Amino acid sequence: MKKHALMLGMILLPTLAMAATPDFNGSWVRNPADSDPMPNQMYWVTREVAGGGGGGRGGRGGRGGGEVTLTVQQDAKTLQVSQSNEIARKYTLDGKAHTRPTDTGIQKAEDTAHLEGDSLVIDTAEPFGGMPGNATLKIKETWSLSPDGKTLTITTTRDIPARHQTFKEVYTKTQAQPGAICSAGCIGPQ
Amino acid sequence: MKISRRKFFAGAGAAAGAFATTSESRIAAAQVAKTPKAVGLPDVWGQDFLYQWSPPDNVKRDTSPGPNVIRLSNSQDITNREGTDYAQMFQTMRDSGWTACEAASAAWLSRKMPDSEITEMKAQLKAHDVVFYNIHCAGNIIAPDPDAERWQRHIIDAYHSAEACGCRMILTHAGSMYPNRNTAHPLNWSKTAWERSVGALKNICKATAGGKVKICIEPVNTESINNPWAMKRLRDDVGDERINCGLDIQNMAYAGVAFRMTELLNTTFEVLNGMIGYIHAKDFVWDQMLPGLSWAMNGTGNMDYEVFLAHISKIPDPIMYVEFLSSPEEYQEAQRNIRAIAERIGVKIHGTQPPPQQA
Repeated sequence: MKKHALMLGMILLPTLAMAATPDFNGSWVRNPADSDPMPNQMYWVTREVAGGGGGGRGGRGGRGGGEVTLTVQQDAKTLQVSQSNEIARKYTLDGKAHTRPTDTGIQKAEDTAHLEGDSLVIDTAEPFGGMPGNATLKIKETWSLSPDGKTLTITTTRDIPARHQTFKEVYTKTQAQPGAICSAGCIGPQ
Repeated sequence: MKISRRKFFAGAGAAAGAFATTSESRIAAAQVAKTPKAVGLPDVWGQDFLYQWSPPDNVKRDTSPGPNVIRLSNSQDITNREGTDYAQMFQTMRDSGWTACEAASAAWLSRKMPDSEITEMKAQLKAHDVVFYNIHCAGNIIAPDPDAERWQRHIIDAYHSAEACGCRMILTHAGSMYPNRNTAHPLNWSKTAWERSVGALKNICKATAGGKVKICIEPVNTESINNPWAMKRLRDDVGDERINCGLDIQNMAYAGVAFRMTELLNTTFEVLNGMIGYIHAKDFVWDQMLPGLSWAMNGTGNMDYEVFLAHISKIPDPIMYVEFLSSPEEYQEAQRNIRAIAERIGVKIHGTQPPPQQA
């Protein structure tokens, strides 16, 4: 009896594990009411009048004013995330460091992504702003889904020697298909 | 034989001039013939139809550390307040990671410091291993008359005070044709402005002849010294070895070099070899639609801090002055980035910074 139970367990475990793999596929609209204010991720301007945004070059860029939509395409090995006016990112979910050019194209960034229980963890290290000679910026994003799969929460920490920042973003799943509501910069279904 | 584009067009211009018959073509020929060899960074690609603002692919980035230990200072200036506890002042600087300091001239010269106080200040500087290196001068040496003469007198007074206090330098500017030197006047790059700057500095050098204190000029785009070649030429024209550069390379940034700062750093340290008194540490980004540059936290902008620090560590007794930030917390953040980048490439920075305070 015990032997049968063990065999059944061996058969079911991988299936259960697969079932537990979080599915981030879809289009996600940022819920500003439940999200923290976003710092300008592209520039750390001193003596500035407070303002938002900017896209791109410092990792997933400043999601300042206006509606923010993420489009995610995920399969067993990769996850691609796209956002209007930003360069799409493709992560290999193997827990290994992968090098890519920064958004400036003149420096290197290193991404490491893996699924950890119900969460996706993405670590990135790059020179701040993708410019040569800068302080190293380390970004850690933790993605998690609500039990019904309709709410995505991304908690981000950003560390450079000068400052540590943590902020939370909450996204709600939309009915649109991946790529359907994206403007320039988004990548549609393959 | 390979003929460069510049030579080709110069030759074409000269030929056109030789055959010109109309007044229009004579003017055109004259303009071509007078085209000077321009200062600036080397061509990259497409200069015949683009303002080329991207860096070339093969920029040399030498981040090897030099032998010298960098001291950091900030705008936590030494003051001339009566009754100052110098031991406490310098201990506070050291505790915050700053090992050098400078004074602002207007406040500094507002009170005649007794010799006994100077002696006490020097003793406390030595005891705390802090260097008082500079009097950062106010004023505008080419302001419309009669202010120019008044400000030149101010610089001369600062010079003598620097001598008395053991400072190695004073810092001033080439000046603006407006009363306020921070306002760019349309004629600040004219021959008239240049000659006024040279004349003013000659006056200052003459009045301080025999002194050892360096007279450093801070380059800034709003004035004539907007590149390293101008700085070198200014020293040549004034004709005094005491004219040096208070290097603020960020002040020379404009759209044409905003993304070519590694090259500008390399060029500047080469052109100004042996004449850099100290260095300002700032950073900037181009974050606006017009070529508007904004000050940024050190180590997060367009400055190549690795190459910057590597160059600085190769000049004697290097001092970096962190400025243009808004709060003590920002100065600590700037220092933390600078020290981290320096450590990454093996450049040594004097003193230690306290760990960040936990919120």
